[in-house]
Amino acid sequence: MEPTVTRVAVVACPDWPAQAAVIERGLTSASLAVVSAQRIVARTSSAARDGVEVGMRVRQAQALAPDLVIEPAAEQRDRIVFEPLVRAVCEIAPLVEVTRPGMVLIATRGPSRYFGGDRALAERLHELVANASTQGVHFGVGVADGRLAATVAAHHAAATGSPVVVESTMTRRLLAELDVAVLAEHAGVDLQTVSLLHRLGLRRLGDLVGLREPVLVARFGPLGAQVHRLARGLDRHPPVVIAPPPQHATMHRSEDPIEDVGIVVNLARAVAGDLVAHLHSHATQCVRIHVSLTTDHGETSERLWYQPEGLSAAAIVERVRWQMESFVSSRIPTAGVVAIRLDPVGLEPLSGRQLGLWGGRSQADEDAERTISTLTAALGQQAVRVPLWRGGRDPSEVFELTPAALVDFEHRRDGVTPTNTWSGALPSPSPSIVFDDARDVTVCDAHDRLVSVSGRHELSARPHHVVVGERRYLVRSWAGPWPVEERWWDGLRRRRIVRMQLVLDDDRGAQTAVVVILDNGRWGIAARYG
Amino acid sequence: MRVHDRLTHALETGLVRPATQGETESIPVAEHLHALFAGRGLVRGRIVWCAGDAAMSLGLQVVARATQEGSWLAVIGLDDLGLQAAFEHGVALDRTVVVGPTHTSKEWITAVGAAVEGFAVVLLGVPRGVTGSDAQRLATRIQARRAVAVCVDSSRTATVASVFSPDVVLRTATTEWHGIEHGAGHVRCRDLAVEVSGRRVARSTRHVLRHVG
Repeated sequence: MEPTVTRVAVVACPDWPAQAAVIERGLTSASLAVVSAQRIVARTSSAARDGVEVGMRVRQAQALAPDLVIEPAAEQRDRIVFEPLVRAVCEIAPLVEVTRPGMVLIATRGPSRYFGGDRALAERLHELVANASTQGVHFGVGVADGRLAATVAAHHAAATGSPVVVESTMTRRLLAELDVAVLAEHAGVDLQTVSLLHRLGLRRLGDLVGLREPVLVARFGPLGAQVHRLARGLDRHPPVVIAPPPQHATMHRSEDPIEDVGIVVNLARAVAGDLVAHLHSHATQCVRIHVSLTTDHGETSERLWYQPEGLSAAAIVERVRWQMESFVSSRIPTAGVVAIRLDPVGLEPLSGRQLGLWGGRSQADEDAERTISTLTAALGQQAVRVPLWRGGRDPSEVFELTPAALVDFEHRRDGVTPTNTWSGALPSPSPSIVFDDARDVTVCDAHDRLVSVSGRHELSARPHHVVVGERRYLVRSWAGPWPVEERWWDGLRRRRIVRMQLVLDDDRGAQTAVVVILDNGRWGIAARYG
Repeated sequence: MRVHDRLTHALETGLVRPATQGETESIPVAEHLHALFAGRGLVRGRIVWCAGDAAMSLGLQVVARATQEGSWLAVIGLDDLGLQAAFEHGVALDRTVVVGPTHTSKEWITAVGAAVEGFAVVLLGVPRGVTGSDAQRLATRIQARRAVAVCVDSSRTATVASVFSPDVVLRTATTEWHGIEHGAGHVRCRDLAVEVSGRRVARSTRHVLRHVG
C-alpha cells in the first residue's frame, strides 16, 4: 500500500542568497552573484540571462557578465532579509516550516478549508508575501501533494508570476513528466547521480517509478531507495517507524522569565545537546523539529524547521536563535521566556554524516574559506596555499602547495589522500622540517677524512662526526646509505643522489636526527626530525 | 546574577550537560598529550609555545586532533614544515592552509591577525623583528577571536618566547632515538623529555613521552 502524502503549500524564492544581497544593498535589478569558495551559489535573474550558472567559477562568470557584482555568501543576511516573508506566511498558518532561508512550507489542510480551497489559499499566500516584500521579491507559491511536487510547482509559479496549484489526482502525472534533474535541483541529490541516471536512459521521474525499488537499490545502494521514494512524490527518507524513544521531546523551564536572546539561545544549546545525544543513543536523528517558546504571560512562538540531511545540535540552536530573534522583534511577547520546548517530529535512522548548519558544509568551513579570501587579497595568491598530494621520493615533493584560490574545496579530501606509496621514499616517520635547499655539511670519518659512497653504495668509512660551519657534532648512529635514482631515462634531468639518516650528539646532551644527502660529491642536510 | 545561579543549579542537577560548554571552551588534543594540558585540551584564546629540538613535531601533534574534528588550521611563517610529517602526525591536510613565505614581520602580523578571524587553530613560526607590543596586540586579538595559537620555535639558540608571554610553554629535549643502529634500521621513535611551564601553569612539570617522528 502506498503511504499517504501530505498536501502542502510551498513559498519559494529562487536564488534567495542573491535576492537577499540585492535587497540588503538596496540595488535594483542588478546583475549580481553570491559566491562561496570561488564558485557561484546563487545569481539574480539578470545575471542568469547573461548565462551565469550556479556552480560556475567566479572568473568564468565574470567573463560572461563583465559588470557582475560579486557578493560573498552570508547566511545571517539570508535569514534576516527572509524573516518578514516568514512572518507574513505565519498570518494564515499557525505552524510554518522554514526549510531554509528562501523557502517555507505549510500543511494546507486547515487553511485551505478556511479560505475555501487550495486555489484561494494559494492566492491569499501570494498576496501576503507580495505585500510583505517591499522591494519586489521574486517568489512563487505552489500547492501539491508532497514536498517535491509542491517545490517544483512553486518554482514554476515564480517563473510565471502566479500561484500554481496541482490537483491531487494530477500530482503523480506531473512528477512522472519531470526530468530527473529536479532531484538535484530541489531534493539535494548529487549531480553525479543525476548524470548517471541520464546515461542509463532514465530521463524522467516516471522512468524511475516504472522500475521496481530493489532494482534501483541494487545499482545505487540506499540512494536508490531514496530516489525511488522521491520519484513517487514522498519525502527522501522514510519516517522512522519504530516507536520514538521515550521522552523524545525536551523542555527547559525557567522560573525567572528570560528576556535576553543570548541566554535563551544558550539554554537551548544545552537542551538541544541533550536531545541530539538522546536521539543518537537510539540511532536516530531528527530531520524536522517543532520549536516552541513560551513567555511568562503565555504568548508563544511556534515553528517547524526541516533539514533533510538531519539537524545537529548546533543546527537546532541556530534555528532557535532565528525564531527567538523574530519573536522578540514581532513585539508580541510582553514578558520573558519561561519555557523552551524542542519536539523532534520527524525522525529517521542516523546517517552518521557531519553537516553544517544549513546542510552540506560546516560553519568552520565557511569561516575558513572567507578568511582564505581575505588572506589572498592581503598577501597575494602565491602566499596562501593548500597541500595537494603528488607523490615522490623526496620528502619535500610528496605534497605540493597550490594556491588556495584555485582549489575546489567541495572535493578537497580527494586531493590530500596518498593513492600509493613510492618505493625508495624515506621510511616513515618523515622529518618534520624539510629544507628547500640542502644546507652544507661535511661528513667525516674518525680521521677527519670526507666520507664518500662507492658506485655500489658502500661507505668509504664509518661516519664519525659532521661539521656544520664552525661546529662539530659527533655521529651517534646512522642508517643508509640509500640510493635515489630519479629520471634515469632522462639524460639532462637525471639525478642520482644518496641519502642517509644520522643521529647527532647535540652540544647540550640532546640528540638530533637529520637526513643528509650526497649530491655530486657534496654533502648537505636536507631535513631534520624537529 | 540570578540567571547565572540558575545555570549553576541546572549544571549541578544535571539538567544541562557540561560537555556542550566544554566544547565551546576548549579544543581537544590527542589522548597521549592529555598529561601536558592537564586533560583540558587547547583552551580557546590562549597561546602555546613549543620549543626545543622536537618543537615542530610536537606542535603538529598538538594541533592534529583539532583538525580531525573539523577545525581549520593556518600555518604561518613555518616555511620548512614537512607536510608529509604533518600528514603522518594526523593533521587533516584538507583543512590546512599554508600562509607564506611572509617577507617582513609586518606582513606576518597582518597574516596572523587575519587568519585568527576564521581559523580555530594557527601554527606559527615567529619571525625576528616582532616586538613586545606587536606580540601583545596579537595576543589580545587571538583571545578576542577565541582562536588557539601554537608557536613553534625550532631555533637552537635563544628563543623569541620572551616577546610573547605564552600561557603554556612546552620545552622539549630528545634523550634517545630508537630504531637506528650503526648502519642499520632507521629512526622510528624517540624518548622525549617535555617540561611544561608558562603563565597559566601553576607548577612546572616534567614528562617523558615516547614520541614518534
